Amino acid sequence: MTAVIWNPAQESVEEEDLLARIEALKYAGQSPLFDSSGKLLSKISKAILASPRARAAPQYVALGYWLRAAALKRMVADFSAKHLSENGSLLVPRGLALHLPPTNVDTIFVYSWALSVLAGNANIVRLSESLSADTEWLVDLIATVVAQSEESERHVFCSYSYGGEFEKKLSRQCDLRMIWGGDAKIETVSQIPIRPDGLSVGFPDRKSMALISAEEYNKAPAETRELLATNLFNDIYWFDQMGCGSPRLLVWIGDGIDKSKDLYQRILSIAEGKNQTVEAGVAIGKIAFANDLLAESIGTSACHYSNLLEVTDVIDPALALERTQGGGFLMQTNVEKIEDVAAFTSRRIQTLTHFGFSEAALNRLAQSISGRGGYRIVPIGQALQFDKIWDGVELFTHMTRRVIIRLN
Amino acid sequence: MIAALETAMSQVPYSMAYDAREALLKDGLNALTAQHYAACEPYRRIIDGYWKGATNAQSVDAVPYLPVSLFKTQKLMSVAPEAVRVTLTSSGTTGQAVSRIFMDAEASSIQQRALASSLMHVLGKKRLPMLVIDTDAVFKDPRYMSARGAGVLGIMRYGRNHAFALTPNLQPDFDAVRAFLDDVNGEPFFMFGFTYLVWINFYEQFRDAGLDLSNGILIHSGGWKKMIERAVDNIQFRSALGQAFKLKKIHNFYGMVEQIGSILLEGPDGLLYPPNFSDVIIRDPVTWEVAPNGTPGVVQTVSLLPHSYPGHSLLTEDLGVIETVDAGINGWMGKGVRIIGRVPKAELRGCSDVIAAAA
Repeated sequence: MTAVIWNPAQESVEEEDLLARIEALKYAGQSPLFDSSGKLLSKISKAILASPRARAAPQYVALGYWLRAAALKRMVADFSAKHLSENGSLLVPRGLALHLPPTNVDTIFVYSWALSVLAGNANIVRLSESLSADTEWLVDLIATVVAQSEESERHVFCSYSYGGEFEKKLSRQCDLRMIWGGDAKIETVSQIPIRPDGLSVGFPDRKSMALISAEEYNKAPAETRELLATNLFNDIYWFDQMGCGSPRLLVWIGDGIDKSKDLYQRILSIAEGKNQTVEAGVAIGKIAFANDLLAESIGTSACHYSNLLEVTDVIDPALALERTQGGGFLMQTNVEKIEDVAAFTSRRIQTLTHFGFSEAALNRLAQSISGRGGYRIVPIGQALQFDKIWDGVELFTHMTRRVIIRLN
Repeated sequence: MIAALETAMSQVPYSMAYDAREALLKDGLNALTAQHYAACEPYRRIIDGYWKGATNAQSVDAVPYLPVSLFKTQKLMSVAPEAVRVTLTSSGTTGQAVSRIFMDAEASSIQQRALASSLMHVLGKKRLPMLVIDTDAVFKDPRYMSARGAGVLGIMRYGRNHAFALTPNLQPDFDAVRAFLDDVNGEPFFMFGFTYLVWINFYEQFRDAGLDLSNGILIHSGGWKKMIERAVDNIQFRSALGQAFKLKKIHNFYGMVEQIGSILLEGPDGLLYPPNFSDVIIRDPVTWEVAPNGTPGVVQTVSLLPHSYPGHSLLTEDLGVIETVDAGINGWMGKGVRIIGRVPKAELRGCSDVIAAAA
């Protein structure tokens, strides 16, 4: 069987040769937050931000900024040098990490890999066998910088078939496995054991929603509304609304949602202004989905603003959130107070973005959903922003181990 | 049976001009919308929620339409479940959702009458000896997909003394074809098959066999996907069969299980014509407004046949174009349509990898 390795250009390779490459990976001798790892990521950041291709795509710009040295330093401040050996314990890398990113949210593999680089691990990133042109460009760029920085002995970017002997042998080497992308994938991949003392972390299917205070929206001046609409546009349309954090349900809290049309008109104008398009097949799918929700009594009425935006009023948000339709499809509902959101916040819910609430209100929300679901409460516009805590998992902590040191 | 359908079917098939047809269809479609609104609860919720209630449409293109995929996701019927006599399903590979169409006794007889009137228009009033371009295993052997077998059986009732041109392995059955041609002995006969079988398993196998099919009338249908792969269009199809077999009377048709009985039949100019009781509207895929004639778009089909389920106005996933209106060649009136292909399948992929092994 053949596999693919980035060397740093893509090449075909026999599985046993890839395995030999992986067995030879070095992971000894580098501490978390080692200088060279920060430098490597910083070079990648520069390469991304310097590329015209990335400048045209907001998700790559966001990635480029996220990888800047200053930003990374801020993010891992909790783990900075003075904490590395506190309480008589020393933070060390976990070892060899295997990253299994999702097929199409193509920046996830970089976030997962970059944090693991900072943790000091050696890494295998297994990419999909069918990559989009954009993803291929991004992998090529990163593999090239890694090779130029003489870090190829620590990081392998590759692609191989699931379900074979090779996957078993490879997995046996790994101290950490990060499985991104869906219940079914996690279930299949998890049947293959990693090292007996290894740690396998899965990030399953999640759905997200946006919460807006109707009163605050109605009071807000035009500029504020316009900014909100721009942020919502980004949250919805990046990744075709198919990211776990992409909002699917918009919840108006309090009275006066007659203004909702104003918001949707603004989103629509922004989408049109950015020349956002929707394929005919997706548009028909969205119309059919709105009809399905109505037929099944989940929805009560629907509005086709244009092929770009379809909005359906739902009376059963819990059922509505179990369904998936991307490409510019919003469901909306109305509740009296922010705590009422808890009723339909299940384990499946990941991100709750918000507009127009006080810190006290958001704390009440966090209290009310605790033990039910919901992993992030962030402002509208940050739905897809990657964070060091993901789905409740402290990524950096999981990517490292602690060695206890006692003097006597 | 609604009055407008009686009127449409009392005319010579495929003879109604656009204006007269539009007026008749408007009344008939409004009557069907009202009937299904009253009898089919999910349909009522869609009309209320998406179309702001059932109002009398002022023109045929203002009649509410359902995306055809809804028959895969919903159970839509306008008769009591115990009145359902036949449930039709569309073809589909394993694991794929299939359409379910519910017919009571009346709907079933209406669709048979309607299909008969369309086919008799090209076959004549008397049933002809029939050469099926398929194998009889297609409806005898349960391993075959049901839809193809059902299609063959459904059309077989319009012929007699059936012979089958292919063996169960879809190889040419020369003996059966020669015996059939000896039997018909120069009289007219009827041939039916799915387009790709007619081409790949019949034409490509028999083309050098010196068959004389000049008395035959071929009716064929089915996806053009395999034909496009072979870069064969309708014009080449007709001329190749004419050259190889002297076969001149060839009629393609376009139809779907969701509007069973309504078939767009190929007229003398090679275009597809909707029967009197139905029509085609082409919509712009961005605005969903009616596209001007000559401009390609998404095909919407309306038909007065669906009485037992709300399928009288459907947005398909096919692309087409209206080439002529009321061309009138040999009396064929109304819109002359060309089907171009399918709306490209759209796949939105996200964080969730559907099949881990394929990712």
